[in-house]
Amino acid sequence: MNCYFDRFNMRIGLALAFAGVLAAADLPKGETLLDKYIEVTGGKAAYSKMHSQMMTGTMEFPAMGLKGKLTIYSAEPDKQYFEVNFEGVGKMQEGSNGEIAWANSAMQGPRIKEGGEKAESLMRGKFNAELNWRDMYKTVETLALETVDGKQCYKILATPKSGNPKTLWYDKDSNLMVKMSAVTATPQGDIQSDTSVSDYRKEGDILVPHKMSIKAGPMEIAMTVDSMQINPEIPKNTFDVPDEVKALIKKP
Amino acid sequence: MSHRSCVLVLAIAGATAVAGQTVTPAQRDANIQSFEKVWTTVSDKHWDPKLGGLDWQAVHDELRPKMEAAKTADEAREVLNDMVGRLKQTHFGIFPGSVYHDLDASSDEPEKDSGEATPGIDVRILKGRAIVTDVDAGSPAAAKGVKRGWEILRIGDTEIPPLVARVQEHFKDPTLLDLRLRRSVVDRLEGGTGSTFTVEFLDGADRKVSIGLDRAKPRGKIAHLGNMPPLPAWSEWRKLPQDVGYVRFNVFFDPEGLAKTMEEAIKGCRDCRGFVLDLRGNPGGIGGLAMGVAGWFTDQSGLKLGTMYLRGLTIKFVIFPRPEPFRGPLAVLMDGCSASTSEILAGGLKDIHRARLFGTRTAAAALPSVIERLPNGDGFQYAIANYISQGGKPLEGIGAIPDEEVPLTRRQLLEGKDSALDAAVEWIQKQKP
Repeated sequence: MNCYFDRFNMRIGLALAFAGVLAAADLPKGETLLDKYIEVTGGKAAYSKMHSQMMTGTMEFPAMGLKGKLTIYSAEPDKQYFEVNFEGVGKMQEGSNGEIAWANSAMQGPRIKEGGEKAESLMRGKFNAELNWRDMYKTVETLALETVDGKQCYKILATPKSGNPKTLWYDKDSNLMVKMSAVTATPQGDIQSDTSVSDYRKEGDILVPHKMSIKAGPMEIAMTVDSMQINPEIPKNTFDVPDEVKALIKKP
Repeated sequence: MSHRSCVLVLAIAGATAVAGQTVTPAQRDANIQSFEKVWTTVSDKHWDPKLGGLDWQAVHDELRPKMEAAKTADEAREVLNDMVGRLKQTHFGIFPGSVYHDLDASSDEPEKDSGEATPGIDVRILKGRAIVTDVDAGSPAAAKGVKRGWEILRIGDTEIPPLVARVQEHFKDPTLLDLRLRRSVVDRLEGGTGSTFTVEFLDGADRKVSIGLDRAKPRGKIAHLGNMPPLPAWSEWRKLPQDVGYVRFNVFFDPEGLAKTMEEAIKGCRDCRGFVLDLRGNPGGIGGLAMGVAGWFTDQSGLKLGTMYLRGLTIKFVIFPRPEPFRGPLAVLMDGCSASTSEILAGGLKDIHRARLFGTRTAAAALPSVIERLPNGDGFQYAIANYISQGGKPLEGIGAIPDEEVPLTRRQLLEGKDSALDAAVEWIQKQKP
């Protein structure tokens, strides 16, 4: 009786061990999923034709009833300028040019980003980051198949060359990214956030998400893309570091 | 018996009658709904999901039968206060719906002339008396000759001393008291643009004078921020004769307007002997502006005013030095109506040894808190965050404590003196250039 029970237990143990192996083997590689994302959103050739972008939209803190107009310019290889204008708060700007990452607002004044915050901003500022994900991430590992908002999704741990790891969820059927979880370095401390990505629509030859919902603690932020231009005429000096930020650079 | 005493006795008698009445089945249901609302709100929104180890479910299970058995509104309120009292934290409390009326004239008086227009008078409650502390230049009150130091006895039909006494009775805890007392009077001075009303004062010679006042557009720009009610925001600076810069703003709103004033002040007084930042009467506003204002007064990177703890989110209040900040002596003026962001700024600057504080203790209400009306009509105040100043202590319930206590008196106001400002300037003059 005892022998039989032990054998039974052992078989269960073996089965469970195998289940683990099979589950891991069944999951596609993280690299495959990130490459497939490029394919399903337009393909390498379509991404390669993009050299700059301009995006307009809205940024909203629904709980506070605060809504602002958002404009983002980005260009090869690593230039980005972000501006949001909230009524009652004024203009908030951020930018990066591959070497310097900065922020400026009436509320807190100009500042130059440092440390982890700088590294993350410079990484975000790289143009066509989706296409060049291998330049950003050291490893990408598929962890599991999980349900997100009723959809089966592959969960991937993406560890960047610098900065905090990110967890990404890709829809099993469409292979579109639907969620991202990350810890963002800010001078006010590390902020854990969950971002839901949705409403993919074609802009030029690329599928682009038009809605993002970010949750950080009790705070929720909604971002919507209203328009997007591929390879637009970008106003001169858009990516220049503002004078008040330059004044900080000059400081010893 | 005077008319005033008679009204007071009637009011007390009325209050007792309501408090003593047995609740109806509908009121009992409303009390139970209120109980669940308070319990769930704390459970869902408190910044610490573990509530410091308090077994919140056990509190529910212990007190719910008591709420079901409560026979009067007072008993029901006692149960609710017992529940939030178990948290042992400030900014959690239940107060009778009638107090809304005393705190905010518009809440229970639909006929009250709503609006933000004002005769241009600011007020503090000094020793139980509503005293005029400021009269805006060019305002209707200034045109009618109202002076600092006058006492307000009556606004329209409302007698002010008993109103002040009722608010003082309900809010024995000094936290927020000065602010609430001021609000209870100022709300009655405000109304629609162009509306008129009569105010009875006790003037500088202690004579009763009745003056008809108009209400006019308040000073400054009406600032809008999301769901918050529009607020008039103004900021000003000047160079005092003693070669000291002086900056004052009524609220932490309108970042662009405030940044412009601060920039002009620092540029215009870069070589001054010192600066005075006057936060008296400033009730706070956008928290991030505390860091923004502090950045004009330090060149040291990495300094923090304190840390705010929300549910699932910790925010360090880091100061970002402006390109060319003022580095000389800095004095901050404050009083019991300096609240929230004002306290965060004043307390933090003191903690990092950047400023010396003058005046009286702040409102001790640094936490973002919300007041909601419960189904039974009572008010429920709760905080949604905790804040620890850089010195390691909470400001909540303690406030920013002045280095030099300089209380305001009616006598000084009548004499045209500003003793807190005088003390600050004197201190600056003693500092090495």
